[in-house]
Amino acid sequence: MPALFFNIIKLLYLAMLFLFLWQVARAIRSHIGSNPGTRSDGFAAEVVVLTGGGNPERIRLRPQGHVFGRSDEADIPIDDPYASEFHVRVGLQDDKVIVHDLGSTNGTYINGRRVTNPTTVVRGDTVQVGKTILEVR
Amino acid sequence: MSRAAEGGLILAAAILAAMGVAIVEFTRGSWLDAQVAVTLISFVVSFGSIHLAVRRWAPNASSLLLPTTAFLAALGFVEIYRLDGHLAAIQRWSFVIAAAGAVGVLWLLRNTGVGVLRRYRYVLLAAGVFFLMLPLLPESWPIHGAVVNGSRLWVRVEIPGVVRALSFQPGEIAKVLITVFLASYLAERSEAMSTVDRTIGRFKVPEPRHLGPVVIAAGLAFVVLIYQKDLGASLLLFGLFIGMLYIATGRSFYVFTGGAIATLAGVAAYNSFAHVQRRIDAWLDPFGQFADAGYQSVQALFALGSGSLTGSGIGLGRPDLIPAAETDFIFAAVAEEMGLAGSLAVIAGFALLVAAGFGIAIRSRDLFRKLLAGGLTIVIALQAIIILAGVLRMMPITGITLPFMSYGGSSLLANAVIIALLLRVSDEEHA
Repeated sequence: MPALFFNIIKLLYLAMLFLFLWQVARAIRSHIGSNPGTRSDGFAAEVVVLTGGGNPERIRLRPQGHVFGRSDEADIPIDDPYASEFHVRVGLQDDKVIVHDLGSTNGTYINGRRVTNPTTVVRGDTVQVGKTILEVR
Repeated sequence: MSRAAEGGLILAAAILAAMGVAIVEFTRGSWLDAQVAVTLISFVVSFGSIHLAVRRWAPNASSLLLPTTAFLAALGFVEIYRLDGHLAAIQRWSFVIAAAGAVGVLWLLRNTGVGVLRRYRYVLLAAGVFFLMLPLLPESWPIHGAVVNGSRLWVRVEIPGVVRALSFQPGEIAKVLITVFLASYLAERSEAMSTVDRTIGRFKVPEPRHLGPVVIAAGLAFVVLIYQKDLGASLLLFGLFIGMLYIATGRSFYVFTGGAIATLAGVAAYNSFAHVQRRIDAWLDPFGQFADAGYQSVQALFALGSGSLTGSGIGLGRPDLIPAAETDFIFAAVAEEMGLAGSLAVIAGFALLVAAGFGIAIRSRDLFRKLLAGGLTIVIALQAIIILAGVLRMMPITGITLPFMSYGGSSLLANAVIIALLLRVSDEEHA
């Protein structure tokens, strides 16, 4: 009887050890799942919105990207009279940050050059939307 | 994982420790006693206080580190308690002191972040080398070095009127200080060191003057090997240097030269030091020296074998037959009483911890933090690999503690500081 009792306790204890590890592993998985886009160089792609006044706002890019614009419906509303309602989409594709002008009135400028086609940007590039600067980090 | 879930898992780990103690009590024929409660309280107090410090001073820190650490500490503690109740009582206090150390680090860096450590790098290096050399103090001084099991790692402080001298291993803290120094030094030099100047065959070879750090690394590791007769620490230091050089430069050249130097140094050490020769002979043929140098290794192998799949059950094996079972060979004790299942749980725990640490390094925002998190993770990973491989006889035995599991206050404190620094780096990920 005691032998059986100790055997059951032993197995229960081992089961609890693995239940614990399972919980931690699951947490890691959900952490990876919700992780915003991470580029292969290991830096999370981030866009910093530098407006004329106010504090710079940091946005971690998610894989499906964000639409920046003057409209309140935009993913990231920008308070800038020179920006279009839905001005530009900044998204991720194969670890690269892609800037896609959505037919804005005043255009989108990457490092000062106007772009109309989807364009890849790298860390340190600046994207001008109206009078607002988006910096890729 | 949310902070609340982290707290829940810490509590779960505390309960695992308390249940292990309870099982040991059952096997001795006694019923639940104060030991179970005291164990639960000491785990909740020590890991809970780090958890609260993280909530207050590093709210964005990774929540994967603390539960895993508590889990490993719980498994180790159960075996220590099973082997020697007196040592377990001391270990419980060590948990509290180590937690105080981790909370202290989080408090010190609460406003400045880890960036401030760069400013004091030479102070930290000096302190690290000082701690490393401290055991060489002559025996006649009130604070003096001491030789335990052939290695000169210990420092004893004799307090007049107290019989029991206070002793600690300063080398444990030294490795943390040296990691911080290396991270800050390499963060500045990495660009120069990774520029390509010439190639030999397929390897891109950096300029000779950039090899300086590698030579210094080898030199320091060798000094530790010769004067303190500590194989494990010298291997750890050398591996740390090479690993961090690799993170800083991305050059496999450093790994290959490092490996070549280590091999040559190993051969040289085998031929010139009797204590190295003894270890390697005992590794190659432990059964041939059963009564002598191979005894410990053989007992560990018996423990692993008799543990089988699910072990003898906690408190029902004979891990007390293994020399140093509560310190270096704690893994053999786990393997005997919890079997392959328990040993895999330990290895999985370390794997999760190391993965979380490297994850922090990958996501950190600058090279210094990347190197700091990477280096600290390497320290934990290498310690675990060196001693686990030693116990499993995949490598000669080099006495080193298994982080968070072995009995020993200095090791616990140093590794708790490592966790605190990792937490702090992960908190600064998106500042």
